[in-house]
Amino acid sequence: MPTRYVLIGNSAAALEAIRGIRKHDREGAITVINREEGPAYSRVALPYYVAGEMTLNDLLIRQRPDYGSLGASLVEKENVTAIDAAGKKVMLASGKKVEFDKLLIGTGSETIKPPIQGLDQVPHHYLWTLDDAIGMKKAAEKAQTAVVIGGGFIGMLAAEALRKLKIKLTIVEMAPILLPQLLDEGAGKLFLQAVRDEGVTVRTDALVSALAKKGDAIEVTLKDGTTFTVDMAVVATGVKPHVQCVSNGAVTVNKGIVVNEYLASNHPDIYAAGDVAETKDFLSADRSIYAIWPTAVEQGRAAGANMAGAKQVYPGGLGMNVVELFNVTLAQLGRFREGAGDDVKMLNQGGDGLYRKVVVDKNGTLVGAVYLGNENGAAEMGVIHSAIKRREKWQGFQDGRPPVFTYASVMHRVPRY
Amino acid sequence: MKQIVVHQEKCTACRECELACSFSHENIFSPTLSRIRIADFYEEQFYQPMVCVHCADAPCAAVCPTVAIQRQTDGQIKVLDDRCIGCKMCLLACPFGVMGFSPEKGVAHNCDFCDGDPQCVQFCTPGALEFKDVVAIEALAKQKAAAALGLPKA
Repeated sequence: MPTRYVLIGNSAAALEAIRGIRKHDREGAITVINREEGPAYSRVALPYYVAGEMTLNDLLIRQRPDYGSLGASLVEKENVTAIDAAGKKVMLASGKKVEFDKLLIGTGSETIKPPIQGLDQVPHHYLWTLDDAIGMKKAAEKAQTAVVIGGGFIGMLAAEALRKLKIKLTIVEMAPILLPQLLDEGAGKLFLQAVRDEGVTVRTDALVSALAKKGDAIEVTLKDGTTFTVDMAVVATGVKPHVQCVSNGAVTVNKGIVVNEYLASNHPDIYAAGDVAETKDFLSADRSIYAIWPTAVEQGRAAGANMAGAKQVYPGGLGMNVVELFNVTLAQLGRFREGAGDDVKMLNQGGDGLYRKVVVDKNGTLVGAVYLGNENGAAEMGVIHSAIKRREKWQGFQDGRPPVFTYASVMHRVPRY
Repeated sequence: MKQIVVHQEKCTACRECELACSFSHENIFSPTLSRIRIADFYEEQFYQPMVCVHCADAPCAAVCPTVAIQRQTDGQIKVLDDRCIGCKMCLLACPFGVMGFSPEKGVAHNCDFCDGDPQCVQFCTPGALEFKDVVAIEALAKQKAAAALGLPKA
């Protein structure tokens, strides 16, 4: 009998898992359970929809027939309420049960609700699901001013989208810099200045303590007592693994679903990939969750292949981010904020808007990098990315010049005949 | 499928290819907008033309969150401008550093073989670039490897 694969989730991890499975198994039946409506859309593109640069149709990265052509069936608008690990069944909110031989949990992340007084009483917007984006776009059409609570990755993407709509912004971030997960202090300061130069009000080291309705507007109160009013509020205070469907203890959950190097949980037939999976880390002995698209793709592929019987080892999660905001391109790889024993190589200090830094561990191995500069320069981060993955050593400065990171610099050092 | 094959030992870093590429695609002579770039090590007189190799398992296409990078029927890896949102994840995914970006269009770009007549190849005076069928390229690589090992030509 062909294997029955069930995938919970319909984004990067699950979509790549379909491919991973089909590389090794052309017969098995694949069922994709989506809690939202419709075929897959790109979460990464949502800010572009809010900014009016893409239509709803543009956001789709699959059409319904695409599932069928890969021998997969898509179940829409169904929530998984529980997983019966022993009976190998998935329980749906509608009361239906779906049996599986191999299960992938790729439910992703959900937004974190911050402890702000009065939050439930005022209209506010997240930017995580398609419905969120549709709601935010509608609100933005009527707004002239907005507060963005949280200056992290999502917060800044929301801010950039609203700025394109000519909305006057105040960003409130609790760290001393914007994008604290993406930038070190040096690049962070440069970026903060670039954002302020665009006329955006940024409050760092600040917390929103309360929100209140004031007519049609919203009054924002900061912890230090300052108040101001805005037309709309955006909440972007982070995400956490979406683990409700395993809250009955079907599999071991720490921060996310704990998986081994094959992306299997403590139950040999239940796998997890993407934002919901807690995997080993590429650079350290720790376990980690990088809630980013590229890791979801990598993990989804490997998990799918392993569900279909391959023995693909996932080498561990490695952080990587790139974004262009306020006319600056920012990118980060691995351990970009140096730890104890690490060595920092500054390639550019920030003059002329160019900041390049490489982090090397105590053995001389490349472990991280930060880039702030123009669009094209970010290509070298791809080369550094692959060098980190191959655990290459830092080659040193050449004649006092910073090294040029091109693939050729790697090939050049391979003995040629 | 046809590919651009690089004869590194013939490259003199004259950079005609970079100018030809940027002019034919962007109507401007700008090496930073070229899809082929010369990595230079002047002190060591080592020059390496770098251009998209249209990987069999292309990391840029795998990572693209809007499925804007797709393999065409002729085998090439192509960025579809109307789907690209300019997020630059492909730039971070390319181990060769040959995914470029056009600030004007706001989209990523790689070698597109100039619709079958690569201008970099046309303008490469030293003959370091050739546009050849992959089967021929493989045969060439085998010959080179055999020569390096001192084996007779097959």
